[in-house]
Amino acid sequence: MAIRSDQGIVLRSFPFGEADRVVVILSPNHGKLRTVAKGIRKTKSRFGGRLEPFTHVDLVLYEGRNLDTITQVSVIETFSHLRDDLDQVIAAGTMVEAVDAVASEGEPSLRLFLLLQRGLRALDQGETSSDLVTAFLLKLAEVIGLAPALDFCASCGRQAQTLRFGFAAGGAVCDNCPTEGAVRLRPGLTAYLSVLAEADLADLPQPDPRFSGEAMGIARRFVEYHLERRLSSLAVLDE
Amino acid sequence: MFEGPVQRLIDELSRLPGIGRKSAQRLAFHLLNVEQADARRLAQAIMDMRDQVKTCARCFNVTGSEECSICRDLRRDPAMVCVVERAQDIVVVEKTQEFRGRYHVLGGALSPIGGVGPGQLHFAELRERIGNEGIEELIVATNPTVEGDATAMYVAREMKPLGVRVTRLASGLPVGGDLDYADELTLGRALVGRQEM
Repeated sequence: MAIRSDQGIVLRSFPFGEADRVVVILSPNHGKLRTVAKGIRKTKSRFGGRLEPFTHVDLVLYEGRNLDTITQVSVIETFSHLRDDLDQVIAAGTMVEAVDAVASEGEPSLRLFLLLQRGLRALDQGETSSDLVTAFLLKLAEVIGLAPALDFCASCGRQAQTLRFGFAAGGAVCDNCPTEGAVRLRPGLTAYLSVLAEADLADLPQPDPRFSGEAMGIARRFVEYHLERRLSSLAVLDE
Repeated sequence: MFEGPVQRLIDELSRLPGIGRKSAQRLAFHLLNVEQADARRLAQAIMDMRDQVKTCARCFNVTGSEECSICRDLRRDPAMVCVVERAQDIVVVEKTQEFRGRYHVLGGALSPIGGVGPGQLHFAELRERIGNEGIEELIVATNPTVEGDATAMYVAREMKPLGVRVTRLASGLPVGGDLDYADELTLGRALVGRQEM
C-alpha cells in the first residue's frame, strides 16, 4: 500500500457507508479512478465542496485493495459558474456522463481528459448553445475512434451528396447506397455537423437555429447507438 | 456459525445498513440476554412502523394518520412552505426552531447524471398546493450538491411564474469552523451571499 498523488476531474459520486462517498474521477494519467472520501457528507468535513462533480482537483491518494482513499484535495479549477443555470448543469452532466461511459480504469486518457476540461471551461465561460454539447459528442466519438463520416459516404466512401445518416453505418450515406435504418437529413446538415466536429469548443461558430436542434439529435443518437446506452442527463427534461 | 434462530437473526441484522457480521452477532446475543418484554417491544415497534406508517396526503412527510402533525397544526403559517428532498430533512429543519411554516417533501432530487427527472418527484403536487393553499414563499432546502442545486433551480423556474417567492437556504461557512479549511466553492458562495451588518 502506497501513497501517490494524481489529478483529475470529478465525474460523479454516490453515498457510501455512514458518511462517506465513492468519488469517480477522470485522471489524465490513470483513466477512471474510483476513490473513497471518508466523512465527506458531514458538514464540517475538511473536503467541503472540493469533490463536487465537474471540479478539477489535485489529489493525494492512499492506495487500497479495491478503492483508493483520498487523504488530501486541493482545487485546480472549480468551474463554479456552470452550476448557476439548470441547462448548463444538464449540459455538463451530459459531458461527464458520456466520458464516464467511455473511460476505463487504469488506462491513460489524456485526450479524453483535455476534451472534458475544454468542454466544461466553455460552459463555465457562458456558452449556452446546444451546439457545444453536439460538438463535444462528435469530438468524443473521434477520441474513442468512432468519428462519424460526414464529408463522404460512410458506405461507399465516395464524396457524393449525403442526405441521409446511418447510425450503424457510421455516418452520412449517399442516396446510391441502400442503408437500413438511415434517417433523412435536412440539406446542409452534414456540413453543419462537419464544422462542429472540427471547431474549437472555446470558439464555436454562431449557432444556426435551423440546424442546431437536429444536429444535436443526430450526435446524441449516434453516440447512444455506439455506447449502447442512453444519455440520461439529456433525457431529464424531455418528459 | 450458530444454530437455527440465532443465526437467522444474525443474518437479518447484518443486512441492515452499517451493520457487519460482528455487530450483528453482538446485537443478537444482546437481545438473547435482555428481558423477554424488551425484545418483544422492539419486534412490535418494527411491525407497527411497517403497518401503520403512511405518507401525509398533503406534504408527503411520514405520519401515522391521513395528514401529518405539522400540516394539522393550525398555529403554523400556511403561507410559508419549506421544500425538502426527504422526510428525514424535516426533523433537521425543525430542530433549528427557526421555521414556523409547513413542508413539502419532493422524495429525492433531480439528477441529470442519475437520470432522475421531474416526473419522478412530487412537483405536480407542489404546483397544486400553490394554487390551493395561498402559499406566498417557497424556501428550498435541498442539499448544496449538484443535484440539490439543479432541483432548486427547477423549483424556481417552474414555480415563480405562479406568483410565489422562491428562496434558497444560504450556503457558507459552518459555525465553529475555520476559514483556513474552507474550500473555494463554499467560500465563494459565502462571499456572494454576504450580509450587511
